[in-house]
Amino acid sequence: MLKIDRSACDECGTCISICPFDALVFNPGLKVDDAKCVSCGKCVRICPFGALSLAAEMSSANPSGCPETETV
Amino acid sequence: MENETFDIVVVGAGPAGSMAALHAAKAGRKVCLFERKPVVGVPVRCGEGIGLKGMTASIDVNPKWIRTKITKACFVSPSGIKVPVGRMDESYIINREIMEQDLVDMAAKAGAVYRNSTSVNAVKPLNGNWYVCETSGASVKAKCVILAEGIESRLARGLGWKTDLSAEDVETCAFCHVDHESIKGDTVDFYVGSGYAPGGFVWIFPHGKGRANVGLGILGSFHDAGRSKEYLLKFVERFYPDAKISDLHCGGVPVAKWQKPLVRNGVMLVGDAARQVNALSGAGIGYGLYAGRIAGEISAASFTGTECDYKSLKQYEKKWASFYGKQQMRSYSLKKMLMTNNNDKFYDSVAKSFVGANPEKMGYMRIFFRAFAKHPGMLVKVFLLFR
Repeated sequence: MLKIDRSACDECGTCISICPFDALVFNPGLKVDDAKCVSCGKCVRICPFGALSLAAEMSSANPSGCPETETV
Repeated sequence: MENETFDIVVVGAGPAGSMAALHAAKAGRKVCLFERKPVVGVPVRCGEGIGLKGMTASIDVNPKWIRTKITKACFVSPSGIKVPVGRMDESYIINREIMEQDLVDMAAKAGAVYRNSTSVNAVKPLNGNWYVCETSGASVKAKCVILAEGIESRLARGLGWKTDLSAEDVETCAFCHVDHESIKGDTVDFYVGSGYAPGGFVWIFPHGKGRANVGLGILGSFHDAGRSKEYLLKFVERFYPDAKISDLHCGGVPVAKWQKPLVRNGVMLVGDAARQVNALSGAGIGYGLYAGRIAGEISAASFTGTECDYKSLKQYEKKWASFYGKQQMRSYSLKKMLMTNNNDKFYDSVAKSFVGANPEKMGYMRIFFRAFAKHPGMLVKVFLLFR
């Protein structure tokens, strides 16, 4: 899941321009649409201030929300 | 309740958007200009450098907008070889905050309705050649919509454009104001190299003696989370130790091909939203002012009564393509070519070949051609581009 660090985000919009899934939007601050986001990480790498990060998925397969130890 | 109606809605009040609103309103159209932020142009996300020609092509320059005149430039190679340039086209560092506020005021004075602190969340076509603009406030309807929303160019996606950028087509930038006694008032400096700004450059644009806008752009494909900020602070620390830093901000610059088509039915793209930026230098103010002006004029002229003729809106793309479009495409091809040779050794060897050269005879183009001359295959391609 994409996390936005509000204190670091400068609202420049670069992440919005690079998102292939149209999952990021200003409304009026930066918001992520979790239904559209596929956690590809493009926005995380492009952020000039490092305000975005990917946290481990919280899914029904992993209800505890603990980070998965194995990835496919 | 019936939506409020306009002839033309402009989304985004940067240089391109306000110019469009100004010229459409001046021609007698009922115009609404939306701006997401409370105050336009704040914070400034730009180096603020511009050639005089780039402004006078579209607007009379107000002396209030000028911070300082630039008479010299200096390129510094990765290993520190300096290439001074004394032959410059007339160039200025401007104050965008003042300029953008003035442009908005001019648009409002010409009759455009200005709504700040208002996000436009979607633009949707309706029956009868109307578009509805859904905003964070009341929705409005218009026959023609000009999108000047900047790099994010998101509303265009919902209307059929593919505007998401690939990493190699965006420069990720960070910049700040630096106060330091070593800053000269009339020289712009550029530092090239992987240690400074991979796939881009550092700029030092003086506001006058002792203060400069220091910034950098890193090509997206070389970037990682937070790198722009980290490299900028490292640079300032190294070259301006103990300097006072303020107004640290970031931004993205599209260095892509301009967006085709520029017009779909009743919608036009202008400025960064249309990728109207010189892909080699990252300069976009001049292109944005021009595109905004002609989009505003042409949209207004496309109306008969309250009906907008979509076919005649396409004149905008034709005019842009012949005035700046070709130049912009050339800048993109050159950027692509330069990136195939993007290594420190290459930049150092170009700089070395100019050691001892007379700065008065040095212009940007000479450095440029020398760089490509080092690779004869590339030089041929460059000549073909400039035919």
